[in-house]
Formats: sequence, structure tokens, C-alpha cells
Amino acid sequence: MNPFPGFTLSPELELLRDQVRRIVHDEIIPAEKRVDPDAEDLAEEDYHRIVAKTKAAGLWSLAAPEQYGGGGVNTFGMSVILEEMSQHRMGLYNPGCGVFGRYPPPVIYGGSEEQIQKYAVPTLRAGSYTFFAITEPSGGSDPAGSIQCRAVRDGDTWVLNGTKIFISHAHEANWGVVFVRTDPTKGRKGISCLIIDQGTPGFTARPFRTIRTVSLPNEVSFEDCRVPAANMIGKEGDGLDLCMDLLTKQRFPYSACNLGVARAAHRLAVAHAKQRSTFGVPLSQRQAIQWMLADAEVELRATRYLIWDGAWKADRGEDARVEASVAKLYSSEMLGRVIDNAVQIHGGYGVTKEFPLERWYREARVRRIGEGPSEVHRMVIARALFR
Amino acid sequence: MKTLVTVKRVPDPESTIRVKPDGSGIVTENVKYVINPFDEIAIEEALRIKEKQGGGEVVLVSIGAKVVSEQLRTGLAMGADRAIFVACEQELDSLAVARLLAKIVERENPELLVMGKQAIDDDANQAGQMLAALLGWPQATFASKLEFSADQKSVQVTREVDGGLETIGFALPGVITADLRLNEPRYASLPGIMKARKKEIKEISVSELGVDITSRLKIQKLTPPAKKQGGKKVETVQALVDLLHTEAKVI
Repeated sequence: MNPFPGFTLSPELELLRDQVRRIVHDEIIPAEKRVDPDAEDLAEEDYHRIVAKTKAAGLWSLAAPEQYGGGGVNTFGMSVILEEMSQHRMGLYNPGCGVFGRYPPPVIYGGSEEQIQKYAVPTLRAGSYTFFAITEPSGGSDPAGSIQCRAVRDGDTWVLNGTKIFISHAHEANWGVVFVRTDPTKGRKGISCLIIDQGTPGFTARPFRTIRTVSLPNEVSFEDCRVPAANMIGKEGDGLDLCMDLLTKQRFPYSACNLGVARAAHRLAVAHAKQRSTFGVPLSQRQAIQWMLADAEVELRATRYLIWDGAWKADRGEDARVEASVAKLYSSEMLGRVIDNAVQIHGGYGVTKEFPLERWYREARVRRIGEGPSEVHRMVIARALFR
Repeated sequence: MKTLVTVKRVPDPESTIRVKPDGSGIVTENVKYVINPFDEIAIEEALRIKEKQGGGEVVLVSIGAKVVSEQLRTGLAMGADRAIFVACEQELDSLAVARLLAKIVERENPELLVMGKQAIDDDANQAGQMLAALLGWPQATFASKLEFSADQKSVQVTREVDGGLETIGFALPGVITADLRLNEPRYASLPGIMKARKKEIKEISVSELGVDITSRLKIQKLTPPAKKQGGKKVETVQALVDLLHTEAKVI
């Protein structure tokens, strides 16, 4: 007997992954073909039809805590699942087109039971969008230093003034969370997290267009915007402590989406190289093409283990911040390279909207900036080296 | 009602099947395996019968190498109650399969047997019919709709036959084989997957069943289908008929 048999996925997780793969293949991809290549969502009737199936199969809200109607799947499990869930045209910014549910910002679980029941539970049930407003024009990667958005206590309300930027879904979501400075003298400990309802007077969200044509970011402004004190998540000054651990955990499923889309692009490239001939020779026989695809294959395999390794660590409750940066940095840059080559291999077809490649190509560029740009993640990794 | 459903492990119809150079079989490395799609429909139907009748048991049975337990586990995750696995490493012909299944039926005494109409690997389409004959049970193959009597003692089966639909009825027990349009199988749910872990898969050896499984069939050679050629346009019906006769040799 082999005393160290090595690692395999549990049969349960494999089966779960297969179910998700089937739904993407049999339901989502055909439905996606019925809407515009740049569409943000599926047609209403398709969405509801597929959701009825995923809900019946208990595949809805897999990552949410069980006591709030979710599947309670951990970070590792979700990383495995999102690698499948993202393998379609809208997959990078709308994995599964939302048919497996959408999640509120995880910081909400740091709130009171009342807040969770009022905000998180209905959102999980409906699979609706929410927003997470932390980045400001003064910078996004150093919230402790750069948050200028102020909240001043006045009786049982907080009065907000300031601006947030690049806040996806802020114009369409029912609610979201905003990080504000409640005490300018305390640095990191002076930042708190508040729940904002859509339509609160003094709150405005202005969407603007980017290279990514969906999930439009917003400029969000607060002008004497009054928020009930009861909307504070956790205690005053706890804002960043509440979200950092959860943000770290989120990096792994996020990176798994990069991996999933890269795998989908790679698969298209391999298939195209097999069937397309130039000067009487299939592309698959050309060394220039073979090397692109061989390198992509290596990078895809490497990415998977970087993600899994970090996700395991996070699930064991260990500090996985460096692993999160490694996974996020490598997966997003790998995605850029793999898609770039897939487009090149497809030639002119690669930049048409007949294939999902051009959309992935554009959206992939954003992945090296959003959720912390590559440089900041390199900084985190380097800092750990010299600690 | 107690329903027995047969499950065969087959290569995923989505995967590319390649024939070994010597024609002795297919290349099995890196091939993904799934439940035979018609068997999946059979499982779904059995589950629906149980749900509709508000009780009963769905028992899966499969024959093959140890790995078939993967497919049984999938069926259990869909909602079947337990499974039986007949361990057998050698290739079986349809008659051997039917004989083994007949023994299982003797032991289990189900009121109904639902099978896929055929397995998509060898497309034999024989096991169900042979099994019904061995048991002396009525059979309804290629089923597209089932309707049970109020007392659940008999069933009306709509069958997809050449040229239309035929409805036949029989008193249970009996054998039904599922066609494509009988239902749309459900996805295994997360709770179902977790529950399946604890469900029983009982292993039985061929010798325990005392069945002669000597194969009467031998596969001589497999050949891949001819490569698809591009089509051509013809001017007249006469030209088409001529080509079908002289070139394609189909009329």
C-alpha cells in the first residue's frame, strides 16, 4: 500500500463540479447565444427558466452560509466550482450569468443578525446585485491611508460627504456597503462600514463606460447623505478589520474565474489550431503555435495549484494573504497572456464578436487592475520576503 | 412501489472517441465516463414515480469493474435510495447481462424494472427485452410516457414506434425501457450529493449469483466511421437519383 497516496478531489466535489459544468454547457451557453455578444445578462425568460432548475437542484447560493439558505461550500470548494462556472462568454464578470445566485459583500456577515436578515438574506434569495464602495479618487489599494469620505455623527444618524469611484452596480443595486472615515485622527482604526440603501437622499451613483461594457462602474457621491446609525456594520472603527480577512478569501474564487476563462480560451485555441490550415499545413503542426499552446497549458496547470494551495490555507484559518496575492497576480496575468495568444491563433476571427475571445480579451485587461493591481500584489509578496 | 433501475457506465458522448490502431477497442485513456444517458432518464422516471406515489424505493443496479460505483454514486445523488453493484471485470454480452439482472430481480422482487432503451456505447438494445423474456414479464420498450392505474397494479405505456406512438398496458411487474423523450433528468443537488455519501452500495460477485456469463459474441474489429466529405449540389432530381444509385449506392 502506498502510505502517501497524494491528493484527489473528493467524489462529492467532483460530482458537484460536473453538475455545474453540465449546466454551463447545456443551459447557459445556448442561452447566451440568444442575446447580444455584449449583453450584460441573459434574456429574462431564460434566466428564470434556468434558475428554476438550479434552485430545484440546490445549486443556488452555494457559497453562502447554510443558516441563511446557502450551500455552505468553503473557499476551496468554490474555487473548484468557479473554474467551471466562468467558462462561458459572460463568465469573467458574471459567472454562471447569475443562475447560481449572487452574493452580498461578505462584510455583511460581520453585522448583526438583524442586518443579515434584513439585507443579506433577501439578496441571497433573489440573487440580486449589491455594491461595495471602498475605492476613492485618491486611491483604492491603501484604504487606511486614502479614504477621505467622511461620516460625522449627528444624533442617531451619520452624515456622509465624499466621493467613491469604480463602484460596480451602484446605480442598479438595492443596497451596498460604503467605507467611510468616522475619526480622522485614528488612521486605520478611524474607518467604519455602513450599509447604504438605494435612494437615500444625498446618495448619487453615475455609471460611466469603460473597456468592459458590462458591470458598469460608478462614480458615487455623498452630499449630506444621512444614514441611520443602525446601518453601521460592527463597531465604529472596525471597518477595515471586518473586510480584510473576507477580501483575502474572495481572491481565490476570483482567481478561479480567471483560470476558468483562460481554460475556455485555451480550449478554443487548441480546437482552432487543429482545424485551421495555412499554406496547406494545420496550425497545430506549426512550432510557433505549438509553443504558444504548450506554454499556456503549463501556466493553466500552475495557476490551479496556486489557487488551491491558498484556498486550503484560508479554509484552515491560516493567514493566506500572500497566497491570495500570488493567486490573484498570477491568474490575472496568465489570463492576459493565454487570451492574447488565443486571439492571435484565431487571426481575424479572434477579434470578431462571433467568438467570445474579444470580450474576454477586453475584460481580462481589467482583471490586472481591479481587486488590487498587479503592482500592489507584488508589493505584498515582496514585503513578506523581507519581513 | 419498488423500482429497480439499471445503470451502465459509458464514455461521455461529448468526448472524442478514438479507435485503437489494431481495432480491438477504443482508446480509454483520458476518456471521461458518465451514466448511459438513457439510464439517466430511467433513474429520473423511477424517482418521479416514487415522488408521485409518495413512497416506495428506487434501487440502482450496475455490473462492471469497481469504477462503476462512480456512476452509481451519481444516481444516488439524484435521489435513488440504494445501489447494487455486481463486480465483473470481463466484457459481457447482452444475454449475460440479462441473466445476471434476472438473478438480482429474483433477490429484490421489484414491482417494476426501468432500463435505458440501449447503452450508447454498443447500442445493442437487447438487455431489456432479453431480461423480460427470462423473467416471463411483460415489456414495453421505447417508452415516452407512463400512466399508472389508481391501484398501482398496472401501467399504460406510450411507446415511440416507427411511424408514431403506440400505447400498451400491462399488469405489474414488468420491464420498461426509456426513450429520449420520457423526461428530462434532474441535476444532482448539493444536499443530494452529500446524502449519497452515506447510501449503501452493496457489492455482489458473479459467482454468488451462479450465472454462466460466457460470452457468445466476439467483437472482431472496430473501425472509426468514415470521415465526413463536403456536400455537392446537383441541378436536377434525376441527377440526384443517379448519384444516389451509382455513387452513394443507397438506392
